[in-house]
Amino acid sequence: MIQLNGLTKRYGDKLVVDDLTFTVRPGLVTGFLGPNGAGKSTTMRMLLGLDLPTAGTVTVNGRPHHELRHPLRVVGSLLDARAVHPRRTAYKHLLYLAQTNGLPASRVGEVLDRVGMSAAAGRRAGAFSLGMSQRLGLAAALLGDPPVLLLDEPVNGLDPEGVRWIRALIRGLAAEGRTVLVSSHLMSEMAVTADRLVVIGKGRLIAEGDLGAFTETGAAVAVRTPDAAAFARRLELSGAQVRPGESGELLVTGMSMPDVGRLACAESVPLYELSTRRVSLEEAFMELTRDAVEYGAAR
Amino acid sequence: MIDTGALRAEWTKFSSIRATMVLSLAAVVVSALSGWLFGNAAAGEYAAATAQERLDFDPLMEVMRGVFISQLLVSALGVLVASSEYGSGTLHASLAAVGRRGRLMAAKAGITALTALPVSVASVWLMFAIGQSTLAAGGAPSVPPGGPHALAMLLLGPVVLTLLALFGLALGFLLRGTAAAVNVSTAFLLLPTLASSSPGFLRDLMENFWPSTAAFQALYGTSWLPPAAAFGLFVAFVAALLVAAFARFERRDA
Repeated sequence: MIQLNGLTKRYGDKLVVDDLTFTVRPGLVTGFLGPNGAGKSTTMRMLLGLDLPTAGTVTVNGRPHHELRHPLRVVGSLLDARAVHPRRTAYKHLLYLAQTNGLPASRVGEVLDRVGMSAAAGRRAGAFSLGMSQRLGLAAALLGDPPVLLLDEPVNGLDPEGVRWIRALIRGLAAEGRTVLVSSHLMSEMAVTADRLVVIGKGRLIAEGDLGAFTETGAAVAVRTPDAAAFARRLELSGAQVRPGESGELLVTGMSMPDVGRLACAESVPLYELSTRRVSLEEAFMELTRDAVEYGAAR
Repeated sequence: MIDTGALRAEWTKFSSIRATMVLSLAAVVVSALSGWLFGNAAAGEYAAATAQERLDFDPLMEVMRGVFISQLLVSALGVLVASSEYGSGTLHASLAAVGRRGRLMAAKAGITALTALPVSVASVWLMFAIGQSTLAAGGAPSVPPGGPHALAMLLLGPVVLTLLALFGLALGFLLRGTAAAVNVSTAFLLLPTLASSSPGFLRDLMENFWPSTAAFQALYGTSWLPPAAAFGLFVAFVAALLVAAFARFERRDA
C-alpha cells in the first residue's frame, strides 16, 4: 500500500508535483500515467526518499521511506536502469545492495535467476545493453522480496520478447498480492498490464480509477439516420447528450442503446446504424491530458 | 552507530572497482619510492654539505618530504568513496537501499577510515624505513623509529593522512563529482607550498595555521602553536567539513 497525501514538490518557482493525493492498493497493478514532464519520476523519487517533498506526505505500508530499517524488504524500485557503476559486475552490484539490508548473498543468485541474468552475473554492467540493464534493475527491485514495487518505465529498451516477459512478471507480482506501481507515458502499454490507472498532468491528479472506467467514460451510442437534425433534438428532449460524429452519424451519450432504438421506433425514425462506439484507452488518455501536455507539438 | 550491513556493502563497492584499489596501492608504492628518492638525494646533499649545514640536517624531515605526494593520493581515495556514486548514478540505488542518509554517510566515513588507515600506515612506515636505511647506506645520519619526533610521525602521521581521506570524502559529498573534488583537495593541499614565495604576513598565516600544514608541523615539533593545539586545529577543521557535508547531504535532493 502506498499513500500520497497532498504531496507537493517545487523546484525554485516551478511546481512539479501539485497536491497529489491517491492510494495504491495491494494485489493490483496500478498504472501511473502522464505525458513526459508530468511529475511521475519526481513523485517516485519522493516515495523513495530521494527528493524531499515541499509539502505533504508519502508513505509505504504506513511509514515514510526514511523510517524503514530495511527499505529493500519493503519497497523495491527500478528508477534508472543505467545507474549502475560501469566497472562493477552485475553480481557485485546486487551483492552490495543485499548487504545493506542484511539479506543473504544467496538472494543475489535467486533474483538473477528470476530475471534470466544468471549467465551475465560476472560481467561488468557497463557492457550491458539497455534491455540487460533493465533486467538487472528489476533483479535489484526484487532482492528484498518486497511487498511494494515501484517501476519507472520498465518496458523501455526491451525487445518484443522482453516486453512480453516483463508484462507477465508484473502481472505475476501483483497476483502474489504485492502493491505494484508502474509508470509509463504509453497508454497502450498500460492497457495490457494495469488493473487501475492514476493519470497525472503538470503535477496534478487528472483521473484515477479502474481500467474499464476509462474507456467507458468516452463510450457513446452511434446512430445513423436520414433525418439526423430532427432526431438529435428529439434525443436531447429525452435527456441524452448528442454530438456529431465524423461521418454524419450522431454520437449519443446519457442514453442506453436499447432506449435509443425504442425511441426511434416510437417516432418511426428509420435507422441505418445503431451501434456502440468505444474509445480506445489511447484516445481517453489523449483527451484527459490534452491540457496537461508539457512539451506538446503546436496544434 | 555504524550499521554493519551498510559498512559491508561499502567494502563490496570499494573492492569491486579498480580505481579505488589501484589508488590505494599507488599511494603505498609512491610513498615507498619517495622515501628512497628523498633519502638518496639527502644523503648526497649531506656528503657535500658544510659543517654548519650538517648541524641543521634533519634526517626525519628529509625523508618524509614525499608525504606531500602521499596526502594527495590518500585524500583522492576519500573523494572516490563519495564521488564514484555520484558519477555513476548509483547514489539513488544506495539511498533507496539504506534509507536514512546519515546511515549511508556514516558507513562511507567508516569505510574511508578503515581503508585509508592501513594504506596510510604502510605509506608512512615504508617511507620512513626505506628513507632512513637509504640515508644510513649513504653515510648520512639517520633516526631510529624511537628517535626525536620519529615516533610521533610513525604513530600520528598515518592518522593525519587518514583524516585527510575523510577530508576528501567530505569534499566528494559537497561537490558531488570526482574531478571537482580532487581539484579542490589538491589545490588545498598544495597551496601551502606556495607560501614560501608569498608576502611575509600571508606566509606566516599559511605556515602556522593552514590546517594540513599545522598538523605536520606539530609532528615535526616545528609548529608555532603548541603541538596539541596545531593538531587540534587540523582535527577540528576536518570535523567541521564533515559536519557541513552531512548537513548538506541530509537536506538536499539526491
